Amino acid sequence: MATSLVVPKRPFLALPFLLPSCDSVAMELRRHQSSYRRTKQRLRVRPDASFGVSSTQFQDHIVHNPPSSAPSVFHTPVKFLPPDDARRSLHTDPLFKHTNSEVLPTVFKTSTEKKYHLNKSDIEEIRKLRLSDPMTWSRWKLAKRFECSPMFIAMVCEASPQKKEIQKQVLEAVQSRWGPKRRMAREDRQLRKESWGRDE
Amino acid sequence: MKRLQLQRWSSSVLSPRARTGGRLQQHLYYSLRRQSTASPALQVESEQLVDESSLNSSIPSSHIRQQPKYILPSPPVEAARESAKLAALHARLYLPSRLPLETLARALVDPSADSNSNFNNESLATLGHDLLTYYTSEHLLCTYPRLPLTVIFAAMYAYVGPKTLATMTREWGVEMAAVPGGEVDPGLLQFQRVAPGTDLDAEPVSNTTRPNDSRMSWRKSMTSRIVYDNEFGDPSKAPVEPSQQPTPGAQSTQGVTAEQASATFVRAVMGSIYLHAGRPAAKRFFEQHFLSRHLNISDLFNFSQPARDLSRLCARENFEPPVAKIISETGRKSRHPVFVVGIYSGQDKLGEGAGASLLEARSRAAVAALKGWYLYSPLNVRVPSSMEDEGAAAWKPVHVDLGEVIV
Repeated sequence: MATSLVVPKRPFLALPFLLPSCDSVAMELRRHQSSYRRTKQRLRVRPDASFGVSSTQFQDHIVHNPPSSAPSVFHTPVKFLPPDDARRSLHTDPLFKHTNSEVLPTVFKTSTEKKYHLNKSDIEEIRKLRLSDPMTWSRWKLAKRFECSPMFIAMVCEASPQKKEIQKQVLEAVQSRWGPKRRMAREDRQLRKESWGRDE
Repeated sequence: MKRLQLQRWSSSVLSPRARTGGRLQQHLYYSLRRQSTASPALQVESEQLVDESSLNSSIPSSHIRQQPKYILPSPPVEAARESAKLAALHARLYLPSRLPLETLARALVDPSADSNSNFNNESLATLGHDLLTYYTSEHLLCTYPRLPLTVIFAAMYAYVGPKTLATMTREWGVEMAAVPGGEVDPGLLQFQRVAPGTDLDAEPVSNTTRPNDSRMSWRKSMTSRIVYDNEFGDPSKAPVEPSQQPTPGAQSTQGVTAEQASATFVRAVMGSIYLHAGRPAAKRFFEQHFLSRHLNISDLFNFSQPARDLSRLCARENFEPPVAKIISETGRKSRHPVFVVGIYSGQDKLGEGAGASLLEARSRAAVAALKGWYLYSPLNVRVPSSMEDEGAAAWKPVHVDLGEVIV
């Protein structure tokens, strides 16, 4: 068995455990020595201001400082309360209002507002285009041209069976080149997506 | 008697040949001792029987009285007073004293053990099942008036389904007899077991209350389950005509599983409390043993497209369309980003969710908003059965609205 001596690249003095056990040298080179007193001293931090007794209040009081967590689903939002519910009047306090909801950035850059601008003749044209040349006029291209969502195109018309067959073969060809790692990662991603709906 | 006991103790020093008494009786005596399910009172009787018969070989009168116990399908009624297990169970469950031990013993006899309906728990279980499902469903519908139907079915199953009742039987400390019979201790749950190796899911459920139940490919909609199926949304067996029922004399070889027998027992206990102690005691028993079990209803939901459902809900209730907004985020370009997304309808926040991607956070926020809608619970919930109390206040209608989102 060959043993090789590893020479450290760092200066010798920076590695105190390599030095002979001399107490004075080791004490100086270590950043700090953990002792009960020092550890305790380091943990002695000033408590948060909300824990202390406020200057205006001198009676006993309850400190309510919950850790940050997701809000409970059993607290019905005010908007979902029926009009005759007593809790509706309790939550009209301006303290509970989120006044900054307009300044928050939206998740999607484009607006998801529906326009309802297509009429019957447009829909006829969408169907005609998709039937005539399904390879050119895919769902995405039709959606771009008519300024609607691909979901709406799918609701309006259906691809021809030949196009579906071709698309299936294309998908199979792509998937046949996947190795086990990619396949497993994609399956895991799908499983994770399903767990969102179960709130896991 | 004393002399006889002495002789029994000295049997260890005597050689087997020196013992008096027939071999058959000794065999009977020792096999009885080995059966742990036999009631102790009976064991004492049989010990005396063996000892007496060892002296005077004539058959004593008690033998004739005890003999029918072996041919009975379930323990006789008078054995209930002698069973320690039964009295312990009565005391442990804190059952009302008006409920006699004999009825509790009858609740422990499954129809598969004793087909005579005067001695098995079938009628008690039918009553108890109706009470349990009624109390549970009124509690669920009044406490959470907006729950979707699938969640109600799942919650009903979790509260009074056979699996829960079997668990409760175990928690109550009820043991099961190996084989039912007249000599068995009446404190044991008695039922005919399924033969080992039987495939329980072999044949599909047939002869249900649902029309066209033979067509397996037909879609079963959720609303049709209210009309045709049982309280858990499962197909229920159609009632058999009295003329077509098997005669009680015929021995039915088909057993039941331990889960089914345990569920029938708990239902029978509920029914017997109602019969003997009245409605308030039955209600109290239900609240203490069933409603006190913790069930997190928010775990029963499963949404496939929460964002779409939420926008449909807002359109139906004339709210502003929901908009997903980023409340806070950290590490967007890192390997583990966290986004906190809130869903707002106008000024009001409907739900909030955190996730590793914007899509995940938005989806979780939509789930939280939908759960906030579905899990609305009115203040001061009262159930319709509370009107049966003495001096109940005037009834106010429970909250009813459109509830479930149908896309």
